[in-house]
Amino acid sequence: MSEITLITRDGAKLNLAASATETVLEAAEAAGLFLPAMCHEGSCGLCSAQVTQGDYTLRGGPRAAAADGAIPLCLCMPQSALTIELPYPQSGISQHSVPTRTAVIAAIIRAGSGAVTLTLSLQPDPEFGTAADFTPGQYMEVTIPGTEIKRAYSLANLPNWDGTLEFLIRLQPGGAFSSWLAHTAKPGDILSLRGPAGRFVLDETSPRPRILVGGGCGFAPLLSMLRHLADFGDTQPTHLIFGANTEAELGVAAPLEALAAQLPNLTICCAVWHPQAGWNGFTGTAADALAQYLDGASVQPDIYLCGPPRLMEAVTRVANDRGIPPARIYSEQVQAR
Amino acid sequence: MFCFQCEQTTRGPAGAGCATDKGVCGKDEATADLQDVLIHQLKGIGQYVSRLRKLGVADQAADSFILYGLFTTLTNVNFNRARFVEMIAEAARLRDRLRTAYEAAAKAAGQQPETLTGAAAFVPADNITGLLAQANAASVITGRDVVGEDVIGLRALLLYGLKGVAAYAHHAEVLGESRDEIAIGIAHALDVLASDPTDLGEMLEEALALGRLNFKVMETLDAANTGSFGTPSPHAVRTTPVEGKAILISGHDFRDLHELLEATKGTGINVYTHGEMLPAHGYPKLREYPHLAGNYGGAWQNQQIEFASFPGPIVMTSNCLIEPQPLYRNRIFTSGPVGWPGIRHIANGDYSAAIQAAKALPGFTKTVEGPTLTVGFGREAVLGAAGEVIEAVKSGAIRHFFLIGGCDGAAPGRNYFTEFAEQAPSDTMILTLGCGKYRFNSHDFGSIGGLPRLLDIGQCNDSYSALVIATALAGAFNCGVNELPLSLVVSWFEQKAAAVFLTLLALGVRNVRLGPTLPAFLTPAILDILVNQFGVLPITTAEADIQAALAPRIAAE
Repeated sequence: MSEITLITRDGAKLNLAASATETVLEAAEAAGLFLPAMCHEGSCGLCSAQVTQGDYTLRGGPRAAAADGAIPLCLCMPQSALTIELPYPQSGISQHSVPTRTAVIAAIIRAGSGAVTLTLSLQPDPEFGTAADFTPGQYMEVTIPGTEIKRAYSLANLPNWDGTLEFLIRLQPGGAFSSWLAHTAKPGDILSLRGPAGRFVLDETSPRPRILVGGGCGFAPLLSMLRHLADFGDTQPTHLIFGANTEAELGVAAPLEALAAQLPNLTICCAVWHPQAGWNGFTGTAADALAQYLDGASVQPDIYLCGPPRLMEAVTRVANDRGIPPARIYSEQVQAR
Repeated sequence: MFCFQCEQTTRGPAGAGCATDKGVCGKDEATADLQDVLIHQLKGIGQYVSRLRKLGVADQAADSFILYGLFTTLTNVNFNRARFVEMIAEAARLRDRLRTAYEAAAKAAGQQPETLTGAAAFVPADNITGLLAQANAASVITGRDVVGEDVIGLRALLLYGLKGVAAYAHHAEVLGESRDEIAIGIAHALDVLASDPTDLGEMLEEALALGRLNFKVMETLDAANTGSFGTPSPHAVRTTPVEGKAILISGHDFRDLHELLEATKGTGINVYTHGEMLPAHGYPKLREYPHLAGNYGGAWQNQQIEFASFPGPIVMTSNCLIEPQPLYRNRIFTSGPVGWPGIRHIANGDYSAAIQAAKALPGFTKTVEGPTLTVGFGREAVLGAAGEVIEAVKSGAIRHFFLIGGCDGAAPGRNYFTEFAEQAPSDTMILTLGCGKYRFNSHDFGSIGGLPRLLDIGQCNDSYSALVIATALAGAFNCGVNELPLSLVVSWFEQKAAAVFLTLLALGVRNVRLGPTLPAFLTPAILDILVNQFGVLPITTAEADIQAALAPRIAAE
């Protein structure tokens, strides 16, 4: 057995032991520590962390290293004592497993070009009752009925006690879940879900201004965060950059008007990359809008970023170029499927 | 950030105090700094209130704001930065109003109003960045290089003791009990602190005056509690669940518990106490609610595990809150002076959100029978048995009394209190109070002549009851409290304990054993005074301390 030392972003040290044939993630779960994790096959990147000391092998054999050198803990098997720096605080480690729930489809409503609002109603559960208990920014994994196909979607509403879950889903032509949602799903259908999960949540103890950057379905978790801030009468300066290819995609941003009225320190920029003639808002990508905003900002903000891979890369580059440390960039990647 | 107000503060070779970006308690730098600014403003408000009082003018809103404001800065109470920004703005408006009132009152009395400087003239910035820049000047260690560690240490003792006094006064006030002499004493202490005192002797006198004031405050709180909820009497409290929906309430505020019991009447929701709420079961008018079902869990430092496993919402009414974990973040509610960013706050006694949560969450699915804890040995209950107690002492059946209590904490050294209680010989009685009791209150101590050996007096503020009991016994034996076969073994954690400590010193109670460590703000020179003049004893080991306490006393010279 090798000794594993996990160091959280807020400096907490957690110790456990792992054999050479089990992964750090498995050993942690055996010790009752449920680290953020989703795919368990080294691809989603959710469990990745920096191994700063010790030797390890990867289950399934060697693979190309990630750009930042982070190692997926779901594959990482220790060959000596390891020291691992986790990119989240201790509060991000759950002491229980991710819950499994069932829910009934309450409504499927079109929300702008190529997007759908899916509303579910959770069925009572012995452990959780009817509570829809999650942190704004988290997601649930939904299984297509009668299949093993699972997709993770961020929640767009607020935690509540009547069991309502709201997802904002961008339809991907030919995508398995998108096809099911567009053609087969109907109110009354029962779904199996797993969650909430995910560490893409607000750091409400930070005194810095916030910038929320989202594109595509990356808007859903940001919408949940904004609803939460409005619900609590937040007064911290918050700037939202909503990136869209065309004006038609702005339909999902409809709830913003009401939120802006409740959040006096919220400013909003809708960045349209390829607008039609007559568009008088910002023309360019979300990354362009962020560059312009940061160049005029006097205080370095926290950045919350959610969107497809290309947007993530471009925005992260802009933030890095302007000296925002990685620890202040909170991000989650989404991919329409 | 600099903070060394609680027992768990960082202690290192470079000195004591939390001085990085986060305190041990979880308070972040910005919140700590904003609390310093608010304290600075409260000193300024105290300057005006104190002068207004001398002119015969009372301002109840100012008195209340001082109590509430000081309470929010206690350890493990309010971590909500935004709330402090609001309170700082409110404090500035209040100060301006008081200044106008003071100048008018002075002129009306034919006096030339003083032009106050320092804290009274402080103008807070109108944004958080500006406020954080002002915090350095408001720190408890400002001027340390000039005035030295001892002055800073005694100022800290005064300020932290005052915070505890204010917290107790707030608990009494919400139950409708306040006294002019308390408001005057608290404003006076703030006025003293605003003058940046440097005379050690004078500061020590002020600390003792604060201790005497706290005795009044605890007496007032006792009157508020017994006046509202009756005289505590012994009662066995269930510690196991009853089937059904459930709400857990923690902290010290009985008014909030009473409101919650009223709000949940007839809903089928059971209410469970946690931590310092346990003594509520001793009060007849609280336990008459059949849905006050029992006590769940132990002292505050276990809350992250206990709250996570409780199958319903939690209401935190005062200290001690620690960072709510994701597992129960949405189902914990704060009330009164308590706050955490992103955690829902219950205001104006509206518990509807907590009740909605209780209905949605599963509650306990089955009733479990198990052990009980007996509480309610307040002064009346104990003195009601005074005849038997006195006889038992005279016959030798009771050799000695130990008062083991105070606040609990997470530090490993706190096992001392468990060991002390468990090793106390079987012909000794143990009185306890505060959440420190959870270290040993599930142990079966047996009884002496029909009286349980462990008597739970109540919350930390029921130190008042303990002192009344000690004084009455001393009267019966025709001796002083220090001549009684009684030893005090006090665990401290936060500022309420600092207030009680000052009361013990002010009343001349000697030989108080204090642990698990001594306050970090007490310098060697101050400790010398406390040890030599007041007989304060740092704890050693349970075995040695029990032996020393039971050794025949050397007659006073």
